Amino acid sequence: MAFTLRSVKVPPNSASLEEARHRVFDFFRAACRSIPTVMDIYNLDDVVTKSHLRSAISAEIRKNLHVTNPKVIDMLLFKGMEELNNIREHAKQRHHIIGQYVVGNHGLVQDLGAKEKDMSDFLKSFYKSNYF
Amino acid sequence: MGLGLLASRALRPAASRLLRYPPRHGLARAIGSTPERQSPEASAAQAQPDPAPELPPRKPVAGARVHLPNPEDAIEVFVDGYPVKIPKGMTVLQACEVAGVDIPRFCYHNRLSIAGNCRMCLVEVEKSPKPVASCAMPALPGMKIKTDTPIAKKAREGVMEFLLMNHPLDCPICDQGGECDLQDQSMAFGSDRGRFTEVKRSVVDKNLGPLVKTVMTRCIQCTRCVRFATEIAGVQDLGVLGRGSGEEIGTYVEKLMTSELSGNVIDICPVGALTSKPFAFKARNWELKGTETIDVTDAVGSNIRIDSRGPEVLRILPRLNEDINEEWISDKTRFCYDGLKRQRLNDPMIRGADGRFQAVSWHDALAMVGEVIHKVGPEEIVGVAGKLSDAESMMALKDFLNRMGSNNVMCEGNGKHPNADLRSGYIMNTGIAGLEKADVFLLVGTQPRVEAAMVNARIRKTVRATHAKVGYIGPPTDSNYDHEHLGTGPQTLTELAEGRHPFCSTLKNAKNPAIIVGAGLFEREDSDAIFSAIETIAKNGNVVRPDWNGYNVLLLHAAQAAALDLGLVPQSPDSIKSAKFVYLMGADDINLKDIPDDAFVVYQGHHGDQSVYRANVILPASAFSEKEGTYENTEGCIQQTLPAVPTVGDARDDWKIVRALSEVAGVQLPYDSVGGIRSRIWTVAPNLVSVDEREPTTFSTTTMRPNTNQKISPNDFGMAVENFYMTDAITRASKIMAQCSAMLLKK
Repeated sequence: MAFTLRSVKVPPNSASLEEARHRVFDFFRAACRSIPTVMDIYNLDDVVTKSHLRSAISAEIRKNLHVTNPKVIDMLLFKGMEELNNIREHAKQRHHIIGQYVVGNHGLVQDLGAKEKDMSDFLKSFYKSNYF
Repeated sequence: MGLGLLASRALRPAASRLLRYPPRHGLARAIGSTPERQSPEASAAQAQPDPAPELPPRKPVAGARVHLPNPEDAIEVFVDGYPVKIPKGMTVLQACEVAGVDIPRFCYHNRLSIAGNCRMCLVEVEKSPKPVASCAMPALPGMKIKTDTPIAKKAREGVMEFLLMNHPLDCPICDQGGECDLQDQSMAFGSDRGRFTEVKRSVVDKNLGPLVKTVMTRCIQCTRCVRFATEIAGVQDLGVLGRGSGEEIGTYVEKLMTSELSGNVIDICPVGALTSKPFAFKARNWELKGTETIDVTDAVGSNIRIDSRGPEVLRILPRLNEDINEEWISDKTRFCYDGLKRQRLNDPMIRGADGRFQAVSWHDALAMVGEVIHKVGPEEIVGVAGKLSDAESMMALKDFLNRMGSNNVMCEGNGKHPNADLRSGYIMNTGIAGLEKADVFLLVGTQPRVEAAMVNARIRKTVRATHAKVGYIGPPTDSNYDHEHLGTGPQTLTELAEGRHPFCSTLKNAKNPAIIVGAGLFEREDSDAIFSAIETIAKNGNVVRPDWNGYNVLLLHAAQAAALDLGLVPQSPDSIKSAKFVYLMGADDINLKDIPDDAFVVYQGHHGDQSVYRANVILPASAFSEKEGTYENTEGCIQQTLPAVPTVGDARDDWKIVRALSEVAGVQLPYDSVGGIRSRIWTVAPNLVSVDEREPTTFSTTTMRPNTNQKISPNDFGMAVENFYMTDAITRASKIMAQCSAMLLKK
């Protein structure tokens, strides 16, 4: 993936947590700016809204809320930049985007809510598979 | 010569080391021709001065045990210098087996008569001018047998060369490859080159039907199949035609092999001449995974090995069990496996308003059933266990329905008034192996040949060995042993009970009479009266004594005995006619017209068979090849199946479905594991937990059963099994079984 390497420059390490924090905001803005292009090239207008994608991006970032080491933040930022570039270069397919950012990690499983709670372990594993 | 001697000297230490440790497999022996074998006399002379090596005691081949009934009749022979005590009348080959030496053989089979025509088992006997065929030679006292001498080795090598002369070298395309006696033994005992340069003979293949494939050019004329057909299967279909190089095995005229045991010739054929037609070119035997389990297509519970590759069952082979099936299985057992791939239910389904089934999730299916079962009254709930159900699922079903307030749980095939109080009233008290001691048989309303082929083989074995008399009451049948057809219906039975029939004296004079009653009689309206008549006959004929219990019921289905042990007896016999909720657990042979139109029918099972057409909800379950289940066979022996392949689709084990449903319905059963359900079974029927054991009955029905005021109806006994090849959901889905019933059943 030569084009990815070309566009993703490896910046010098962040000196402090404050600098790393600013880079995260820069990355978030860059990602938000590319949302219209992404929706255009992957034909996402009929499945998702811009605000939904924006919150999906912020949710991905918020997953790493607990990270305080600037070096780790730099590494995560690099990975995020790489992902963003892949998406913008149309290196992914439509179902990748839908699967990862529109439907989310829970897949198509609907929340069964309160019913699950009073089930025995036997019944829970029974619904999953025959082998337990 | 000088070079040969040198070479033989160089080889000597290695040879004596071989002698000291008896080879466990033929492969440990040297391959190829050694100079010793080229000139056996010279090296035999050389061997003389060697002092006899110290021999460690050897273990008999395959753990064979010798039973010496009369110590005076024992004789001592020496095998390779090692003394063994054997009973009189044993052959040299058997003596060698006791001594722990496995003699190569093709024609000899310990369950068949001795032919002695392959000559592979030649051994050297001191003071005999030539090597002797050990399978046909009786051992004499003081005989000195040598199995590993150059003369014996050269004899085997010579025989092997003759056998391979006309045997095609097509091992790469032969289905026997990898489990072929000829292949193994030519590697172990054959020469590395042949001297035959002419054209090999070829033989026209025979058509033996849809089960056995023949490649007759590969045949080495061991005649095992001919002897099996005449002696064990009892059909005169196969024979030897021609002589010399024109000799061939065949049916004398264009004819199919119509025995229910025909598949066993595949196992006993030492080469690839007779192979399985459905298995042809499907797999190599070394890539298969073998699972030792039992068969459920009849009530015998034959021990089988399921060979599978990945998720697919590829073949079924018999497993040795002297008490049940010896080493044979019926064709239905062997070839029903393709039914496991067809018509399978793989998703829970609910019948919609338009009458079509729609696949749903387990959650929705169970929720629907759990909702409906609460809308009907407790006495309107009926559960029917099918003929292939295991003990665990029947226990769970009974517990579940009892918790719902219903006591109408039954097992199909057990009739409306099953007598579950006394165990001796529904199992085979003599035992399958015990039948060999009987000298008179009375078969009442049963055709063992189609109902339980392995029991029939046992009866035939007894009749052949001891000329036991067989009396038969029932419709005219095609039996493969001599029998006296006493009558067709209950009036003959009354005559026998009242002592007016000439067969009564035969029964009275017998030492060990055995009465075998067919389970087809359970379904008759007058079953109680008929069974009390049979018990009168048993009492008059002195059939049940402290040392001999000859009163037997031959069951039809794998689930029957366990169902009666667990007490699956309906409270009201006709409950199904007024039912609003019917739970069919694999029950496909009940009369679906009895179920009212407004009843809600749940079908739990593994095949889309007859009952699915009436079902409202389908819960897919696993078949016997996919689950661990306990079954009790007709003689009361408890055995377990083991999963060989994974379940199909979204199916679940039977007892798990009932357990899950009980929780959804709000009456949670107190067990979560197989161990838990087995301990529950233990409280109901403790014998069902001791696997591979047969619990004999303590009481006999002949004295304990209450009197009945039923009248015997004059209707003749019917056929319990119309079509041997198709009796349950699995066999009805099988294409091979369909072909068999189209081609082999006599119309």
